[in-house]
Formats: sequence, structure tokens, C-alpha cells
Amino acid sequence: MDSGHVAAADHAAPQTSVPEDPHFGKATGGKVGMWIFIAQDGMSFGGLLFAYGILRSAATEWPVPSDILGISLTAIATFILICSSLSMVFAVAAAEERNQEGLVRWLMVTIFGGLLFLGVQVWEYTHLVHAGIGFAECTWEGETVNSLFGSTFYSVTGFHGMHVTAGVIYLCCILRGAMKGKYTQGGTSSSPVELVGLFWHFVDLVWILVFTFIYLL
Amino acid sequence: MTDQTTTTDESAADAGHGGHAEGEQSMRGLYITIFLTLGLLTIFEVYIPSVYSAAWSGTTKMLLLCFLAFSKAGLVATYFMHLKWEKPWLRWIALMPVYMGVALILIMLETLYR
Repeated sequence: MDSGHVAAADHAAPQTSVPEDPHFGKATGGKVGMWIFIAQDGMSFGGLLFAYGILRSAATEWPVPSDILGISLTAIATFILICSSLSMVFAVAAAEERNQEGLVRWLMVTIFGGLLFLGVQVWEYTHLVHAGIGFAECTWEGETVNSLFGSTFYSVTGFHGMHVTAGVIYLCCILRGAMKGKYTQGGTSSSPVELVGLFWHFVDLVWILVFTFIYLL
Repeated sequence: MTDQTTTTDESAADAGHGGHAEGEQSMRGLYITIFLTLGLLTIFEVYIPSVYSAAWSGTTKMLLLCFLAFSKAGLVATYFMHLKWEKPWLRWIALMPVYMGVALILIMLETLYR
């Protein structure tokens, strides 16, 4: 076989294994890259929560979040996101088992969970804006509330919502490939599913912290 | 880490990355256990503010909620994101945002005791 044929064969067949690296083991380059992205994105969220903590601790007056925000509904949204994380690990497992049908099914469940979460967030925003909680001006039951409450709430949850939206789009792209059987050929072909899984779990992880700091504390 | 622990971790990694059917089944069981734990902790978390308003102090509530939130986040990172089976270098990368938390605690302590 000449070099041209070898190159073509390499391109067609999935890589069967990743060489062992002394620092990162069998993690693919894509996985290391995704983790570096997640770390820096985590710092972006950390910065926002950092600012929230400082502004809130320095404020002379701050409303009790549970008086304004719907804790029960958001708790359900949190649970939906946790459910979608479970369906995501099942999707990754299905890809590794070369189970195309399972992969497509679990990816669809994960996407549905993400869309449901976004739906709840849109409903919540609409309700809050109509009730007087704006980005720059806040009133609640006829009384003026510290406007930083609205600014920080929309900044942090909005930034997270953008991540969920990006995650859903990313999942849809992976679903398209999964339907064509791209990620169930064995070897490292399932790697893109693992990468989208990492991103999706990160979005879930961040929401766990946002839910506690913004809604419950 | 002892040799025995390394072997156990590697077996689990094999199971988590498409090893034997039995291993895959046990991984599914583990994922469901983590999922149920996360659900239970969320219920507990949501229940805390109502208990707090009746009896507990603000600091107790804050510490308890932070502990629960970080425990849940830790479970997601360790098991769902497979950090348990990754090499230490990748774990260090994942820990980078935690430095931000350390800075936040220091600044808040400074504000509290100014």
C-alpha cells in the first residue's frame, strides 16, 4: 500500500486508541482543550459570582431572594437540568458501546431537558419584568428595591442561560452526526460526544452554584 | 496513591470507557446513585430557607447551603465529568476556578472584619 492509500485509510477508519501521555494519560487533545476551556469559563462565572457577593455584602438594603424569585419553579428547573446530566452520561455510555439508537435517544432527551430549562427561564424573566424587576430599575409590590438585585440576577442567570442555549445548539450538531452514525464506529469516534458531555455537565454544575447563591442564600 | 487503588481506578476507568458489559452496568448504577443523591440534596437545599426563617442563624444557613452546593458540584465533576478517573494534571486544570473562590472568601473575610 503506498503512502496515499495509507493516508486515505487513516482518514476513513476511526483512531482505535490514544497514545499514553505521562501527564494526561489517555485523554485526547480535544478533552484537554475542553477542560482548559471549562476552567477559563468557570473563572468567568466565578468573576460574576464574585462581583455578586461583593455588591450584596456591601449593600445596605437587599431583598430576600425567596420573597421575589420563585424557588419552587427554579428547583424544578434545577432538577430538569440534573436529569439532563443523567441522560447525557447515558448518551456518552451509548456512544462508547457503539449503540447508535441509544445515543440518538439520550441526546434527544438531553436536548429536551435543555429546552425545558430555557422555557422555564423565559417564563421566569417575563414574570419578573412584568412584576417590576428590571435590569436597571427594580420595584416590588409598589416599593423600590435595590436595582443591583435585578442587575446581578439578570447578569448571572442570563450568562448561564446563554451557555444552556449554546449547549443545546452544540448538542443538536452532535445529534446530527449521531444520526449518521459518526460517533458509534468504535475507538475514539465517540470522543465528540464525550466533549459535548463535559460542556453540558459544566453548565449543570454552574447552575447548582448559581441556584444556591442567587436564589437560596 | 497505592498500587491497589491505582488498579481499582483503572478498572473503573475501563468500565467507564466502554469496557466489559458488567462494568458498564455498574457504571450505570453509579450514575443513577449520583443522580438520586443530587436530587435528594436539592430537596434538602430548598427546604433549608424555610427552616432557617424559623430557627437557624444566617451564618448556619449560609454555611450549610454552601456546603451542599459545593458537594453537589463536586459530585457532578467527579462522577459525571469522569474526573475521578483522570490523571492529576487534568484535575489540577479543573481546579483552576477554585482559586477564584479562595480569593472571594479572603475578600469577604476582609469586609466582615474591617
